[in-house]
Amino acid sequence: MVEVKRDGPAKTKETTTVRRKRAGIPAIYFAVMLLLVLVFLFTMGNRNFLSAYNLNTIASYTAILLVVGLGQMNPILIGGIDLSVGGLMSFISVVFVVSLKTIGIWAFPLCIVVALMAGFINGNILTRIKIPSFIATLGTGGILTSLALIVSPLPVDAPPSTYALLEVVNGTLLGLPNLLLLTLAVFALFYVILRFTTVGRNIYYVGSNIRMSWMSGIDIVRTRNFAFVLSGLGAAIAAIMQSCSQYGGDPALGKVYILQSIAAVVVGGTALTGGTGGAINTVVGALILGVMENGMNVVGVDAYFQQSILGLVIIISVALTFDRSKTATIK
Amino acid sequence: MLELRRITKSYPGVVALDGVDFTVYENEIVGLVGENGAGKSTLMKILIGLIQPDEGSYTLRRKLVALRDPASATRLGVGMVFQDGSLVPNLSIMENLFLCHELSFRKFGFLSKRAMQEAAYSILALVKVETDLDTPIADTTPEVRQMVEIARLLWLARLYNQRNPILILDEPTTVLTENERQTLFSILSEIKSQASIVLISHRLQEIVENSDRIVILKDGKNVTELEADRASIPDVEQMMVGRRFAADRYHEDEQVEPGDKTALRVQNLSKRGVFEPIDFSVRRGEIVSLVGLVGSGKEAVCRCITGLEKPDSGSIALGGKKLAWGSPSETVRSGIGHIPIDRRSEGLALGMTVAENVNLLVLDRFKVAGLISPSREKRNAMHWIEECRIKSPSSWTMCANLSGGNQQKTVIAKWLSSQIEFLVLDHPTRGVDVGARDEIYRLIRKLTHDGIAMIIMCDTLEEDIGLCSRMLIMKDGRLVREISCPRFKKPSPSEIIGSIV
Repeated sequence: MVEVKRDGPAKTKETTTVRRKRAGIPAIYFAVMLLLVLVFLFTMGNRNFLSAYNLNTIASYTAILLVVGLGQMNPILIGGIDLSVGGLMSFISVVFVVSLKTIGIWAFPLCIVVALMAGFINGNILTRIKIPSFIATLGTGGILTSLALIVSPLPVDAPPSTYALLEVVNGTLLGLPNLLLLTLAVFALFYVILRFTTVGRNIYYVGSNIRMSWMSGIDIVRTRNFAFVLSGLGAAIAAIMQSCSQYGGDPALGKVYILQSIAAVVVGGTALTGGTGGAINTVVGALILGVMENGMNVVGVDAYFQQSILGLVIIISVALTFDRSKTATIK
Repeated sequence: MLELRRITKSYPGVVALDGVDFTVYENEIVGLVGENGAGKSTLMKILIGLIQPDEGSYTLRRKLVALRDPASATRLGVGMVFQDGSLVPNLSIMENLFLCHELSFRKFGFLSKRAMQEAAYSILALVKVETDLDTPIADTTPEVRQMVEIARLLWLARLYNQRNPILILDEPTTVLTENERQTLFSILSEIKSQASIVLISHRLQEIVENSDRIVILKDGKNVTELEADRASIPDVEQMMVGRRFAADRYHEDEQVEPGDKTALRVQNLSKRGVFEPIDFSVRRGEIVSLVGLVGSGKEAVCRCITGLEKPDSGSIALGGKKLAWGSPSETVRSGIGHIPIDRRSEGLALGMTVAENVNLLVLDRFKVAGLISPSREKRNAMHWIEECRIKSPSSWTMCANLSGGNQQKTVIAKWLSSQIEFLVLDHPTRGVDVGARDEIYRLIRKLTHDGIAMIIMCDTLEEDIGLCSRMLIMKDGRLVREISCPRFKKPSPSEIIGSIV
C-alpha cells in the first residue's frame, strides 16, 4: 500500500481502481455486517442477549455514547478532532446537578449554552489562533476537567426534590423511554443538518478540500467553528442524559467518552481524514461498541480480556470500513 | 535492451492494458503517448515494478525478470522521475542524491562526506547542475529538482553496475518554462549516449521533436509505433484519439466579437515587488489572455482579481461595482469564477461526488422550506453533466474516479451553474488529453456567446493566441504590450515571443 502512495498524482490510476473495487459497497455495509455478526455471536453465546431487558441495557448505554459520538463526528468530518468532549461532559455534569438545586429547570438551557460556548472557543482556537484541534482541544479538555473538579471535587447526588425535573430524561412518553426519544431527536437533528443544510454540506466540503472550499467562497472559519459548536452540543446533551439517569453529577463522568466517542465515529466508517461519513455511520459505530461492551459481559468474557477484544474489533472494523486508499499517507 | 511482451493488466471492471508490447533499445529516447486512461501510467508502473502484470513477459538485458517492487527495478537500472517529484524537500541536494544508499560511502564505519561530495559533483556535472550541494531541495527550482532526480537515477545505475540505465520521465516539462524545457531536452540528448529514456508527455510537439521513436497507446492497446522524424503532430493525434481534428483547433469560427460593455475594469492595481500599477479592462464576451514568463507577475494579477491575494493599491470593478480586496467569498458572490491551475488541490473535493462538486456554489437554490431538496440537487447536477459533457457513470460517482479531462469539466460546470459574469482560467487544459481539450475549448467559446468575460493563462503560446481575442503581455511586473487577436487574423507566435522574453 505504502509503495503505491509514494508518487502523488502518478498514482491516480492505481488508487482509482482500488477504490472502484470498493465503490460498489459503501463502507457502511461492512459496519452493518459486522454489527449483525456480533449480535449473532453473542446470541449464540447467551440466549438472553436478545431479551427485552438486555436490549434496554444496550440501548441506554449506546444512547449516551451515540449522542457524544454524533457531536464528535462533526470535528472529525472537517478533518479535526475534539478531545475536549470528556472534560466538557464532566464539567457539564457537575454544573448541571449543582445548578439544578438552585435554578431548577433553567439548568438545562444553561448547560447547553455553556457547552455551545466551549465548542465555539475550541473552534476559534483552531480557526483564529490556528492551533491544530488535536492540541487545542487537548488543552481545553484539561481546563474543563479541572473546572469540573473545582465545581465539585466529588460526585454529587441530585437532591430528591429535583427528581421530578430528571423525568425529562428518565420518564417515558407513550410507553417509550424519554432517553431513547431524546437520542432519536438528537440523531434526527444531526442527520438533517449534515444532509439538508448548506452549513452541513460545507462541513463535508471543508473536510474534503479546505483550500478549494476557501477559493470557492465558503466561509471556512464559520464552518469549522460550527463543527466544534455541534460537538459541544452533543457532549452537553450526553452529559445531561447520563447525569439524569444516575441521579447525580460526577466530575470524572466524561473520561471514558473521549476515546469511546472517537471510536464510535471511526468504527462506523467516518474517515479521520475528514470529508466522508455521516450520522448513520455513527449510529452503527456506536451500536457496535455498545453491543461489544454489553455482549462480552453477557457471554462471560474474562474482564481482563475485554479491553483487548474491544481494541481488536475497533481495528478490524476500521480496516473493513475505512477506505485507506483515499488518504495519501497514513500517519 | 528491455522488452515487454503481451502485457495484460486488468482491474475489476477495467482492462488497463490488453496485450501491450513495449520495447526500449539502447541509447534512444522513446516517446510514449496516449490519451488519459490509455494505459500509459499502468505500463510505467509495471516497468518499475510498482505493480505486477497479470500476464506477459518482462525481459531486461536478455534475461527474464520478475520485479517485486521499485527497489528491485532500481537494482536493475530502471528508474522513474515522477510527475511531481519524489525528493524529500527538507533534505539537501546531496542527501537526496544518495538517500538510502549512503552506506556505499562508508569508511571505517563512518560516512565520508568528502567521497559523497566528489561523487555528487561528478554525477551532477552530467546534468549540468552547479548549485551548492547543501541547498535544501525545497529552496531549489523545479528544474534543478528534476535534474537531481535524473542524476540520482544515473548514479544508482552506476552503483549497481548497470550499463545503459532506463530512465522514465513522466510529464517532465509541465513545471518548466520554455527555456528550461530546451535545456532539459539538450541534456537528455547528451545523456542518451549512456542511457535510454522513456518520455511521457501530453505535449505532442516535444515528443515529436525530441524522441527517436514514438509508441502510441489507445484504450490499453498498442496502436502503432513510428519513427519520430516521419511523424507529424496531427497524425499522432489522430492515432491517439481515433479521429481527426478540424484544422480550426481552437474553434476560431465560434469566436465572438466582444460587446461594448465593460465587464471587468482593473485600475492602478499594484502589489509591491510583484507587479507595478496596471490598468486594463475586459469586455463582455471577450477572452483576454495574460502572457508572460514566470515572474512576470501575471499569476499575482489573477490572484488579486480572484481575491486570493491582497493588492497594495488600485481597484477592481465588475460591472461597475467595486470589489473588496483579498476575499474569495466576496469575489465569488459578486460573480467571479476561477478555474485553478491545480484542480486536484484547488478545484475539487476529490472524495465527493460529481453532483456535490457541481452544486457547491448553488446549494441555496435547491432549498424547500429551508432544507436542500435532493431531487432538485440531482436535477441540477444532471443538467450540467450533460451540458458540459462530463463523462461520468452517474452523478454520484466520486470525482477521484474521473479522468483528468472530466474532472476539469466538473470544475467548469461548478462555476457555470452559478451564473458567473467573469471567469479566470488558469491553465484550463493542463494535463488534459486531446479529446477533452477540444471539448473544453468548445465550452469556453460557448461561454463567450453567453457574454461571460474571461482572463486566460494557457500552457502554450499557440493556445493563448488561438483562444483569446486580445492578448496582454507582461514582463517584469509591467504590462508591456497589447496585441489584438481577431478571428482568422491571428498573429503568429514568432511576432509575439520577442515581447515576452
